[in-house]
Amino acid sequence: MSPGAARSTPTTAEPLDRRRAPVAFDAKAFRFPAVTRRTTGGGLTLLAIQRTDTPLTLLRFVNRAGGHFDPPASSGLASFVGSLLDEGTRQRNAVAIADQIEGRGGYLSSGSDWDSSAVSAGALSKHLPFCLDLIAEVASYPAFDPVETDRMRSLRLAELQRLLADPGTLAGRAFARALYRDHVYARSLVGTPETIARMEREDCAKFWERHQTQRGAFLLAAGDLDPEALHASLGEAFAGLTSDEPPALPPLDPPEAPGPEIHVVDLPQAAQAELRVGHLGVPRNHPERPTLLLLNSILGGKFTSRINLNLRERHGYTYGASSRFVDRVGTGPFLVAAAVDTAVAGRALQEIVTELRRLQDEPPASVELEDSRSYLLGVFPYTLQTLDGLVSRLEELAVHDLPDDYYAAFPERLRQVTVDDVHSAATRYLAPDRLIIGVAGPAKDLVPQLEPFGPVVVHAPSL
Amino acid sequence: MDAITRHVLGNGLRLVMHRRAELPLVAINLWYHVGSKNERPGRTGFAHLFEHMLFQGSEHVGVNDHFRYVQQVGGVANGSTWFDRTNYYETLPAHQLELGLWLEADRMGFLLPAMTAEKLETQRAVVMNERRQRVDNQPYGRAFERVHELLYPEGHPYRWPVIGYMEDIAAATLDDVRAFFSTYYRPNNCVLTLVGDFDEARARDLVERYFGGLPSGEPPPIPSAGLPPPRLETSAETMEDRVRLPRAYLAWCVPPFGDLRWYAASLLSAVLTGGKASRLHRDLVYERELAQSVACSVFPTEECATFGVMATGRPDGSPEHLRDEVLRTLQQVAESGIREDEYDRALNGILTGHYHELESLDHLADSISAATTFFDEPERALHEHDVYSAVTPAHVREVAAEYLAARGSTYVAVIPEGG
Repeated sequence: MSPGAARSTPTTAEPLDRRRAPVAFDAKAFRFPAVTRRTTGGGLTLLAIQRTDTPLTLLRFVNRAGGHFDPPASSGLASFVGSLLDEGTRQRNAVAIADQIEGRGGYLSSGSDWDSSAVSAGALSKHLPFCLDLIAEVASYPAFDPVETDRMRSLRLAELQRLLADPGTLAGRAFARALYRDHVYARSLVGTPETIARMEREDCAKFWERHQTQRGAFLLAAGDLDPEALHASLGEAFAGLTSDEPPALPPLDPPEAPGPEIHVVDLPQAAQAELRVGHLGVPRNHPERPTLLLLNSILGGKFTSRINLNLRERHGYTYGASSRFVDRVGTGPFLVAAAVDTAVAGRALQEIVTELRRLQDEPPASVELEDSRSYLLGVFPYTLQTLDGLVSRLEELAVHDLPDDYYAAFPERLRQVTVDDVHSAATRYLAPDRLIIGVAGPAKDLVPQLEPFGPVVVHAPSL
Repeated sequence: MDAITRHVLGNGLRLVMHRRAELPLVAINLWYHVGSKNERPGRTGFAHLFEHMLFQGSEHVGVNDHFRYVQQVGGVANGSTWFDRTNYYETLPAHQLELGLWLEADRMGFLLPAMTAEKLETQRAVVMNERRQRVDNQPYGRAFERVHELLYPEGHPYRWPVIGYMEDIAAATLDDVRAFFSTYYRPNNCVLTLVGDFDEARARDLVERYFGGLPSGEPPPIPSAGLPPPRLETSAETMEDRVRLPRAYLAWCVPPFGDLRWYAASLLSAVLTGGKASRLHRDLVYERELAQSVACSVFPTEECATFGVMATGRPDGSPEHLRDEVLRTLQQVAESGIREDEYDRALNGILTGHYHELESLDHLADSISAATTFFDEPERALHEHDVYSAVTPAHVREVAAEYLAARGSTYVAVIPEGG
């Protein structure tokens, strides 16, 4: 039962005993690939990883122009700007951009989340100079053409209509609104029909202009490329951006919401109930993150975690249930999510509460901690197979101000966490007595089941 | 890059190995040549429910211990069921290869002693919730199965959905589990693919050790014999659903995966909707703003393949209008073919996509299992873009003319409730 144990003779020399799991030879060494960091005279930082096994490269420009900068009456602005960036520049219209990158077999995308905006381009390595120029052009000279803005607004409005019929989205919105109340994270990252309808090209251009600086921005690169040559070409490529100080981040520490509170989005015909249950978590660069990752892995981060084994494998209430501390620059939520059979929604919620309490009441078994630790350590290389996996790690370093050796040092930080650390963190970072609960489903069936957990408010679908 | 090597064990298990040593990982991938097409009406969804039962332990592996063993060494594991096949896979730290082989061999050889009515009941409830989550509570969720019900005639095994109908999932018994296992879960009905950082001689020894003693069975029945042909006439249906945007689904049947005409159809789908510069996207989404999105797909299935187009309209749009525009575009391709720049763009995109597939060991292992199961040609997975290169613009025009434009379409519209 201990596949991690070392041994000295190969299995094939022994008679086969299927009752015992084979134990493994020593693990092969793995180190996070070297990260090259260079900064241009203008203040743009390059983070690059060279990998030559496939003839591909992926480049991503990232800055902090995320949804946390959305003005109170303009939720969705950053996200709307992000989707407009690659829809035309002063030099090339949207059709020309798509024709030229796709004609080379490559792809270009732009978008924003809460923390940042990004423009990415990937292609065969021989097209790297083209991709670099295109990304720089998109970041430096977006046109925000009125015709393109109208087109994207109408696409976005229709997309919001689609989301208004999506039970998982509606449960998540009810949860976030109740949890964050007046804080920017309470709003819809992708906007609402009202805010998007009002958005004009001038709003977009003004928003982006404030962030059009090399300082605080990053170019992330991975693949079959030469980091030094790439660095040498950055100054000219990004000459269209200023060297100004970027805008300071808004305050991102929300007050704790006074749960328990239950918010039901009434979908009378829904075939299931979407549950989102939680409270405030921690910012991504929190010092206890390794402990919290292990805590969550025991609780709900993987298939064999307590919450999934309980709700799915013991009770059959759901196809899957999971928990996570959501990564944000500010205080992201801690969240348990599951789509459950409507008839057992109350019982499913009770099991979630029970699992949160159990981790507070008694320390986890040391075997649970060891299993979670070896899972997180072992699965790490798996997440680095693709260029997208590598660039996503670089993006975490960039957006969350993590040191270049963060991932090299990460295994050792995980190894130091003890059972007591996890138990202590559970008492401090889980709050089963003041849960915020968002549910989307048939209110008439759900309300009686949920009332024992706290005050219930029923809402119509909204973003 | 190392070559592909293959061996057939005495019991018929086909082993395929491909070394990729960039990362200390090994992908283990098994394809059992059984899927929803091997089911019968009244027991639809059984192949998939059965896949769930394969994670419920076997004689020497406790309930839920499959995932526990895999995750406690830092591996990932899962399985999936489709029309023609069921796959099971895990990617492990390279030195844990033997653990994965032990787990897979135990459920191939020693499943039935661990099966109980309680486990079946729980997984039945899990699968019913999976169906609710993915189909019944999903906007547009029922449309796709309706398309197949209309496209394929009574008696054709692609007619019913892989996840099955709710009442059929309810009807499955433990006896069905035993019979299905004995018929289909045999070494001679399976391909085992290993991709990653391992020593081939040792891996082969280990596979022989764990799988070599498992008994082979009768060759399973082949459901493709005497299949009724897919429908050629037009059919149309409108469904109301809890959606805000209208959507049009169109489908046809094209030659099976592996046929040159399948690759021509796949290239056509890239010309039509692959990227923002593609013909339908540019026309319907960008220039005329009739659609919110448009996408094509060609299923890699072995009896024949569903060529599907899905166009989501604007809030006040008409799905019939979208249908007519898609049909008009297909007619254009059938008459005038595709432009050289369209052809080049599609091929270049496919080449980039091919290299992306090579990046990930589990995708590559799955493609190798597919190429071995369907064609007995594992190398094909490494060279699929060469097959695409053999497709000419004329082939694309021919497939559009013969299989799409000249035949009736299966059309399903989804409109907002009460709309």
